[in-house]
Amino acid sequence: MNQRIAYILSVGILLIFSVFFIYPVASVVGFAFMDEAGFTLSFVGEVFENRLYQEGLINALALGVVSTLLSLVIAVPLALGNHRYAFPCKGLLTAGVLLPLVLPPFVGAVGIKHILGVEGALNAFLKKLSLVDETSPTDWLAEYQFFGVALVNALHLYPILYLNLVAALSQIDPTLEQAAENLGCPPWRRFLRVTLPLCLPGLFAGGSIVFIWSFTELGVPLVFDYTRVASVQIYDGLKDLSSNPLPYALVAVMMGVSALIFLSAKFLFGGTKPRSTARPISLTAPRRLGVFGRLAWSSVFVIVTVFAVLPHVSVVALSLTDDWYQAVLPKTLNFGNYSAALGHPLVVPSIKNSLLYAGASTLVDLILGLLIAWIVVRSRVRGRAVLDALVMLPLAVPGLVLAFGYLALSQEGRPFHFLTGSSMDPTLLLIAAYAVRRLPYVVRAAVAGLQQSNPALEEAARSLGATPCRVLQRISLPLIGTSVLSGAILAFAFAMLEVSDSLILAQQSEHFPITKAIYALLSVLGDGPYLAAALGVWAMAFLSVAIVGATFIAGKKGGLFRL
Amino acid sequence: MWTRCLLVLTLLFSIVAIPLALQTGETSEKQTEQRQLKILTPHNETIRREFGEAFTRYYKEETGEQIYVNWLTPGGTSEIRRVLDSGFAAAHVLSKEGPGIDVFFGGGDYIFQKQAEMKPSRLVELEVFRTRAELFQEGNIPSSFTGETYYDVDRKWVGLCLSQFGICYNDDTLKRLNLSPPTEWRDLTAPSYHGQIALADPTKSGSVAKAFEMLLQQELQLASNPEEGWRRGMNVIKKIAANARYFTDSATKIPQDVAQGDSAAGFCVDFYGKTLSERLRAADGRSRLQWTAPEGGTSVSVDPVAILAGADEVELAQEFVNFCLSKEGQLLWINRRGSGIGPKHRPLRRFPIRRDLYSEENVKAFSDTEDLPYSRKQQFIYKPELTARGFGALRLAIRVMCIDPHDELKEAYSSRPSGHALDIFEDIEPLTYEYVMGELPVILEEKSALEVAQLTSQLSEEFRNRYLQVVQKGKGSE
Repeated sequence: MNQRIAYILSVGILLIFSVFFIYPVASVVGFAFMDEAGFTLSFVGEVFENRLYQEGLINALALGVVSTLLSLVIAVPLALGNHRYAFPCKGLLTAGVLLPLVLPPFVGAVGIKHILGVEGALNAFLKKLSLVDETSPTDWLAEYQFFGVALVNALHLYPILYLNLVAALSQIDPTLEQAAENLGCPPWRRFLRVTLPLCLPGLFAGGSIVFIWSFTELGVPLVFDYTRVASVQIYDGLKDLSSNPLPYALVAVMMGVSALIFLSAKFLFGGTKPRSTARPISLTAPRRLGVFGRLAWSSVFVIVTVFAVLPHVSVVALSLTDDWYQAVLPKTLNFGNYSAALGHPLVVPSIKNSLLYAGASTLVDLILGLLIAWIVVRSRVRGRAVLDALVMLPLAVPGLVLAFGYLALSQEGRPFHFLTGSSMDPTLLLIAAYAVRRLPYVVRAAVAGLQQSNPALEEAARSLGATPCRVLQRISLPLIGTSVLSGAILAFAFAMLEVSDSLILAQQSEHFPITKAIYALLSVLGDGPYLAAALGVWAMAFLSVAIVGATFIAGKKGGLFRL
Repeated sequence: MWTRCLLVLTLLFSIVAIPLALQTGETSEKQTEQRQLKILTPHNETIRREFGEAFTRYYKEETGEQIYVNWLTPGGTSEIRRVLDSGFAAAHVLSKEGPGIDVFFGGGDYIFQKQAEMKPSRLVELEVFRTRAELFQEGNIPSSFTGETYYDVDRKWVGLCLSQFGICYNDDTLKRLNLSPPTEWRDLTAPSYHGQIALADPTKSGSVAKAFEMLLQQELQLASNPEEGWRRGMNVIKKIAANARYFTDSATKIPQDVAQGDSAAGFCVDFYGKTLSERLRAADGRSRLQWTAPEGGTSVSVDPVAILAGADEVELAQEFVNFCLSKEGQLLWINRRGSGIGPKHRPLRRFPIRRDLYSEENVKAFSDTEDLPYSRKQQFIYKPELTARGFGALRLAIRVMCIDPHDELKEAYSSRPSGHALDIFEDIEPLTYEYVMGELPVILEEKSALEVAQLTSQLSEEFRNRYLQVVQKGKGSE
């Protein structure tokens, strides 16, 4: 790649990133670095001296590690199964394991509570089997806080790892595995010595996102009322009426720790050199198994999907009733929630808005993400590793912090006011906020894809006179299309379900996205959760068709994510 | 490829078509060039919808003009404070009076008073005090009731409806735990409630902090001297907090969790508790969720309205305040759905502030006809001189004593401390009445943010160590 172009692009991207991420975050977090005398690190020092914050950080790290390991335990077998074997209903089952991506916020939490609550479905089921004492049922949410949070995180986040792994596996040259097999290498050794190292870029891409996500996750700990964890401490502090600067210092610490861990992990696992062998022209056909093997693989996918979509099933059940208490399933059916919720005047504009915000932000992410990945993998720009770590930071910043920054900077007379204008229309502001927060998914996916594709093919095209644009269009994009698509799906899905920016920045009902409409319905007196669940089910249905549809359109050979 | 695209797009279009088909014709979008009234509010969707539609109708009837009510809903009180701070800071730089938002509607009198007291004030004088002066005479809208202020002396805000903090509880859960229904705050200190109380967070909401202040006031008023009453009150708070499952900033979470049996009881505003209780009423007339006002320990407070400085549509905003205090606006809060004047979609179940509307004739259309606020035998009067000075300090005191060391506090209380361990547990030093009402407010006002943060950490650590000591003693005596 032309070094000059690479440097110009790097500067441009850094400028965009500084304006739309670093500046708004610094304008909020900067509060923790200033006292009467000017710049200070005292507040950050105070965070490390405060035992409660120390515990919060340690718990957050432990949650990040355990959730990532659990996600790996779920995602690696699924990805390998999908890659290697043919089994009944494969198309449907491999799409089904992506469903956790579409859990709507707020009502997803209500759904989990209706399953794990003291008088929830699980205890009702166990009571039926006489496995719990009626007078002292297990309080799952209170008694298994840490493990519960880690498990729910893993069941929600494994698709991120799965998507990246499937994309990585599809890039591996099968002749390498075949060679190992022909030389007598047993399956486990082959997996550890050949397959795993070859798909490390995908593993690192997905693993780093899952780790930082669980390290900073707020919603799930709040469902379990697990408060001694850094993300909840920050959330509580930001909402505190006393304007204490320590939570802002804790945000800075979380960002620092995330970047440090990301860079260390990148150094250890993510530094794969671009491959020099040609990408396989044809893919090996999935291996056919015996009846038992086929059924076993189908069962693995079914079991994981069933567990992972329990909260979704719970949201569907909630949307169909007006009370669900002390029962495995609701005892009464009520379809009226759908007409009341979907007929609410907020809903249609919110759908239009969400599609606009999420669609536009995903497009921005695709353009920026590809350029950043190109610089990180293909250029020799100095400090590109820092750029790579920088673009991961949006995952570590609480949504509220970025939203507060955008809110303050979009007031009249402030630098971002041109984005809203006098009508206070937050469309451009929200697209920018969504794009910044979802950028890491596309960058990671595109970086992994480029690391696994052979630069010699691009060089060959260039030597034959192709322009950089044509190389990108005809060679690079088709080669990394699988990875980019997986990143785009994640960016779109999570933008459609975005909470913090939407709550704070979309203040007027005509600009509400779907998540804020769900939030508004949740506050309807009396049956709010049931109405919100009905709209949540609509959002799940739409996103499921969008995600499965995208993979369906892209899949040429019937297998998911095989381009 | 194209067939696949068509199939997926058809499916997506069908899903999008469902809400389009279910639309009733109402819209939340601004039509053409209507004048708009921008209202900043933490009120829920039910209230927004009823007031938005009713005011547009009212204004059209009065003037023939169709206006658009533009609700600005950034979240709860703390997000609203953030919006106001950002907006006024930016306006100040531009030498403007304010951010161009017209009305601030709902959120508890604490945040309204704070905005009114800002220099320069962020609120403007309400014309209703002049144009409808009779409403404020002969105690129709009293200046205060149960010790709570109902309108600003400088006429910058006025209360519209009444509400009261109380206790909601789940009958089934209480039976399972062999507990009788709570009737006063201190009932919630029983150790059997361990992990069963849902508490609102006083550090995030002025009105929740006020509820804790009421609890302390009740003990202060009963005691022979303030220090003794204070110590008793702080220990009631400490023990309730020790039984707490969590401290939340979500007003709806508590009654929902209690109704679902995840908590046995919780702090809850009357209209949330009563609405949910009514909704869960079974065919036999029984509801598993109950709401009660604790005996002698809760005052009746207001949700106000105000006009913000620099409002774009001052005349429209003044008209909105007039509407809110008119008979139509007032009965919107309490009347049953479909009772002529009143809500069109759902009852709001909140009592209006105007006393003259509690006539026998009007009450027949009320959604709640019993326990009317102005007819209650009031046992409790809030005395601001006892605790108001240390209101901000009280939030910090509860935080360092109960919220920060919550895990250790729960463990200490569940060890059922007795003897010396109980003395350590009940020790509230240095958070004495004198300190929280005297020295601490001065520290919060005068010391730097770093010093306050260090003091907070130090106090949290002291209480944490104290609770760990109680747990150790409990283990030692086993």
